[in-house]
Amino acid sequence: MPDTEHAIVVDQLCKRYGDLRAVDNISFTVKAGEMFAFLGPNGAGKSTTAEIIETIRGPTSGHVSVLGMDVTKRKAEIVRRIGVLPQGFSSFDRITVRESLQFYARVFGCRTDIDALMDLTNLRGKADAPFNTLSGGLKQRVGIAAALVNDPEVVFLDEPTTGLDPHARRQVWEVLKGLKSRGKTIFLTTHYMEEAELLADTVAIISRGRIVAIDTPARLTEQHGDYLRLTLESIDKTALAVIRKMGFNPKPMNDESISVPLENVDDVRRILDEVQKAGLAPGSVDVRKANLEEVFIKLTDEIPQDDIAENPQ
Amino acid sequence: MTPRIITASLVVRLRSFYRERSAMFFTFAFPVILVLVFGMIFTTPEHLNADLHVQDKSRSDSSAKLLEGLTTNQTFKITQIPVDVDATQFAKDQHLKLVLVIPENFAALQKQRFTEAGRGISVPLTYIYDPSSTSVNTKIQALEMLVAAANQKMTGTPPFVTLVAASILSERYRFIEFFVPGIIAMAIMTSCLSNALNMNAELRQKGILRKLATTPITRADWLVTSIVYQLVLSVISTAAILVVSYAVFDVRLHIGAWLPLIVLIEVIAFVGIGMLLTPLAKEAESASAVANAFLFPMMFLSGTFFPVDMMPDFLQSFARLLPLYYVNEALRAAMIFVDDAATLRYAGVAAGFAAIVFTAGMFKTRWYEGA
Repeated sequence: MPDTEHAIVVDQLCKRYGDLRAVDNISFTVKAGEMFAFLGPNGAGKSTTAEIIETIRGPTSGHVSVLGMDVTKRKAEIVRRIGVLPQGFSSFDRITVRESLQFYARVFGCRTDIDALMDLTNLRGKADAPFNTLSGGLKQRVGIAAALVNDPEVVFLDEPTTGLDPHARRQVWEVLKGLKSRGKTIFLTTHYMEEAELLADTVAIISRGRIVAIDTPARLTEQHGDYLRLTLESIDKTALAVIRKMGFNPKPMNDESISVPLENVDDVRRILDEVQKAGLAPGSVDVRKANLEEVFIKLTDEIPQDDIAENPQ
Repeated sequence: MTPRIITASLVVRLRSFYRERSAMFFTFAFPVILVLVFGMIFTTPEHLNADLHVQDKSRSDSSAKLLEGLTTNQTFKITQIPVDVDATQFAKDQHLKLVLVIPENFAALQKQRFTEAGRGISVPLTYIYDPSSTSVNTKIQALEMLVAAANQKMTGTPPFVTLVAASILSERYRFIEFFVPGIIAMAIMTSCLSNALNMNAELRQKGILRKLATTPITRADWLVTSIVYQLVLSVISTAAILVVSYAVFDVRLHIGAWLPLIVLIEVIAFVGIGMLLTPLAKEAESASAVANAFLFPMMFLSGTFFPVDMMPDFLQSFARLLPLYYVNEALRAAMIFVDDAATLRYAGVAAGFAAIVFTAGMFKTRWYEGA
């Protein structure tokens, strides 16, 4: 039964390296035309999953289909209809941007409008620059352009902004927004929350090879995060009892501060008034709307670290 | 296997090569420089340095005739030194390796010899030489032969025993003719191995392979590209070596259908070895170390610079295990000895070797998975 609604279907996928379960029985679907973000700390299994869907790694067990085709059986057909920016993209050092894109277009046998592609990825000015003279952000944009030479239906972007400075990251985001507006299905892996929150329609959070949550960014923060979080810093612990008496659920934090999840903005004033009446004064007050980062840390119980190696083998 | 993909990959690899000067130098200029340097060193004593210094104290018709005999067939180029100096001291001062002294009474003694009373008289010609010179012995031998011939002539009867030279070769060959095929084979081997290793290490280390794995390019496309690419470089470097050898040293080599065939066999063999060595050279830095560890023994033990039969027996047996030995022998059999049977034999062994390592390399090389 052809499934036109879903561009990617992953069913009970496992990938083991010896005793290590890099990907541990995960299932999800990606709708056609959506931007799907696969969010997780380094080493969580993001890239391994992506590479299995891209057909360049084989699964240990489970089924994966892309555009209705099984990745283990119809690799050649899938490859022609997807575009991939692999993690840490690189190209031939002494080959210029235009020549690199021409090479990939010829490999796919496509009459690609290279100039239009360079306009889309904002590379026109660097058309004749050799790859090894480009900055990190430009290299990533060449990689994105190279992923688009065959006008793919599904685009895979594996950590497109890792290692880029904030300015270069923003420029890549602009390119990704442009792709989204063209109706491409985009599978994005990242360990940056703001990237997923800003761009994605659906976010899947992966931790230690398992998917721990999957939904829209808004609903994820709604379900797993609190609406508001009040933090009273440098305050005596006796304030805990005061707040608890009011019917809230305050948590002592390890740095002499107290954190209170709230439903309502008015609650902030009520708590501050009560605390003041009790003769206690916080060093400072912080009120924050819950975001994906909180959800992420809560769910993965891990802090993303750049120095953990991806793809343990 | 798709011709369109192979052409596109070939263009990228040739452009990369063309834009890297050091690769250009080592592939094309280095072998040519080797031919020039070794060619000059080993060709000079035989052809250019035939100088003979003579102190002609006699200055007579007889001595002039003798000197004329020494210069026939361009055996020697005579330079006269002053007659009033001490020849030994002069040779020392002027760093002369060989000085022939014709005595003052040369003409008189010769005249006496033809009288009845003077039958037993001989004329002493002294040569002053520098025994530390390596080239002087050849000259002394030539001098002795010419003197013997002159003596024979003076008896007025033809010699009884004569030597007739019959070479197993149609033409005499010089060191340079031996050397050129060796350098052709060496240049191809070096280029294939180091390019294959460096390219693969670069592709792997930089993650280009991961990108290529997500395109329709196949491992077979990439391997065919490697072979065609190396073939193009090999043809250019072989042509450069031959042009220089012909232009500068006027070599006499036989260039026929065997040459391109042997070049193709060598390219396949060493691209295959490159694939087998790739797992040892994961990083670009270690690639050249691995390549050199393999290249140098091969270069010196396979008869590139000197004939294998100059080496001790155990090294000769070892040489027979090296693929470059068979390539060298095949090239020499084809280009110097023009011996089809021997060429076929050596080229056949090399081709068998190429088939084995290439097949093994194909099975051993992984495209991306687990790379």
